[in-house]
Amino acid sequence: MKNATKNLYALEQLSAGGTCVHRLHPLVKLMAAAVFIVTVISFDRYAPMRLVPYIFYPMILTALSETPHSMLLKRVFIALPFCLFAGVTNVMFDTAAAFTVGGVAVSYGAVSLVTILIRMYLCVMAVLILVSVTPLSEITGEMRRLRVPNIFIITLEMTYRYIGVLLNEAYSMITAYRLRGGNKKGVDIRDMGSFAGQLLIRSLDRAERVYNAMACRGYALQNTLRRSRRLTPGDIIFLAVVLILCATFRLVDVNRLIAAGIFGGV
Amino acid sequence: MLTIQGLTAIYPDKTKAVDGIDLIVNDGESVALIGENGAGKTSLLLAVVGVIESLSGVVEIDGVRLGKKTAGEIRKKAGLVFQNPDDQLFMPLIYDDIAFGCRNLGMPEDEVKARVADVLDRLNIAHLRGRSPLKLSGGEKRAVAMAAVLAMNPSLLMLDEPTAFLDHRARRSLVETLKKLSQTKIIATHDIAFAAEVCDRAVILKDGKIAVDGASSLLYDEKLMSDYRLEAIAKG
Ligand SMILES: Nc1ncnc2c1ncn2[C@@H]1O[C@H](COP(=O)(O)OP(=O)(O)OP(=O)(O)O)[C@@H](O)[C@H]1O
Ligand SMILES: [Mg+2]
Repeated sequence: MKNATKNLYALEQLSAGGTCVHRLHPLVKLMAAAVFIVTVISFDRYAPMRLVPYIFYPMILTALSETPHSMLLKRVFIALPFCLFAGVTNVMFDTAAAFTVGGVAVSYGAVSLVTILIRMYLCVMAVLILVSVTPLSEITGEMRRLRVPNIFIITLEMTYRYIGVLLNEAYSMITAYRLRGGNKKGVDIRDMGSFAGQLLIRSLDRAERVYNAMACRGYALQNTLRRSRRLTPGDIIFLAVVLILCATFRLVDVNRLIAAGIFGGV
Repeated sequence: MLTIQGLTAIYPDKTKAVDGIDLIVNDGESVALIGENGAGKTSLLLAVVGVIESLSGVVEIDGVRLGKKTAGEIRKKAGLVFQNPDDQLFMPLIYDDIAFGCRNLGMPEDEVKARVADVLDRLNIAHLRGRSPLKLSGGEKRAVAMAAVLAMNPSLLMLDEPTAFLDHRARRSLVETLKKLSQTKIIATHDIAFAAEVCDRAVILKDGKIAVDGASSLLYDEKLMSDYRLEAIAKG
């Protein structure tokens, strides 16, 4: 449990780094991630190969930002079960053969499962990279400037903070329970109800006190006062490169081009 | 200057935690707020910054009267360090937590950086800046919570149980730090010796009312202290 909280915030601790990616304008990073995700999602679900070139984005960014790829990958796996669930239902219902490989028919469902997995990997990576190279306060600051309604931003900030509060509260309750619970391994079913109820009440109570503390330090005062940094040529080049690559891979089927190059044209 | 007149604060469950308090604290004064558990010390501090919703009476800091519209301004003037630092620290990084208040004041990032560095330095906790508040000891959390409030440079500094969790050395250095600060201070504490050392005035609360208000030398008065179920400082 403590680990879950630690993991959650470990990524953001990376965001204090100082590589060229960290120094990019937060708006540019936010836009690049958004464009990337929208393009990746826009592909047909029977076109897994078309997604492969997009791997450029996580590869280049993790390398430049010196983010350990393994750290991100571990978190991608957390999303895996949900995608598998969606994908496997496709495999079951979408059984028409898409093509045959060495006499074995590959169904459309299987193809779409692969697409879902690649898509998931790319999108989750894009979000994780964004979080690990941009402090949350900068992301929300940009959203404010883009006039995203305040209620969304506050909800986002609060959710993010309260997940930590909730996990911590649960952790200390479990510790206290164990200390007085003899050799019990987990929480008894018998105590589960009051445990969950307590946890809810405690978190709400805690959340309120945390909110008060934030208010005492001027949380409500927050507005667009903070001046935005100017865009640098580097910011613009970065955004342009991402836009051009995303658009190119979207419009041109690179795999076919490469195949054509290898097999001397079709 | 802080002026409190007929201040009453009632919690949603109808507990009257602060009951008709009148208090004037002059600039530069250090006031110890003493009283047994549940006397209303924390509630009084929360009421001053307008965190308890059901309030009646007057709170005025440097001529600004606490109200719905002025709550923001009051909170710029009065910094409150919470009794439990876990309630106060919520950012993933100590640095961001301390910067939080300054950023809310609309300070440019360079100045925020300078302020944070300065306050970390003053409290001798510069080594903690890149850590997460979740992984600090009780005393370290306490110091960070204090830094977070000091960074906003409030004219009135309110501390709730500042010596809880502190070891002897940390407590000593807190005394030194507080003595150096020129701000007006209100310190709620059970640590009578600490109160006597840092404060020049003592206010004893009982059941949400002011029972005694006088020089902090009162804290040495055994008879008076035992009347309020408090322990006088051992003479020695
Ligand atoms: N959130 C709350 N809701 C309802 N009643 C509360 C709440 N917080 C405190 N009280 C009650 O208000 C009274 C004053 O509590 P307060 O926390 O101000 O005391 P305190 O002097 O700070 O005590 P301590 O020395 O234990 O910190 C107590 O009777 C307490 O039970
Ligand atoms: Mg208290």
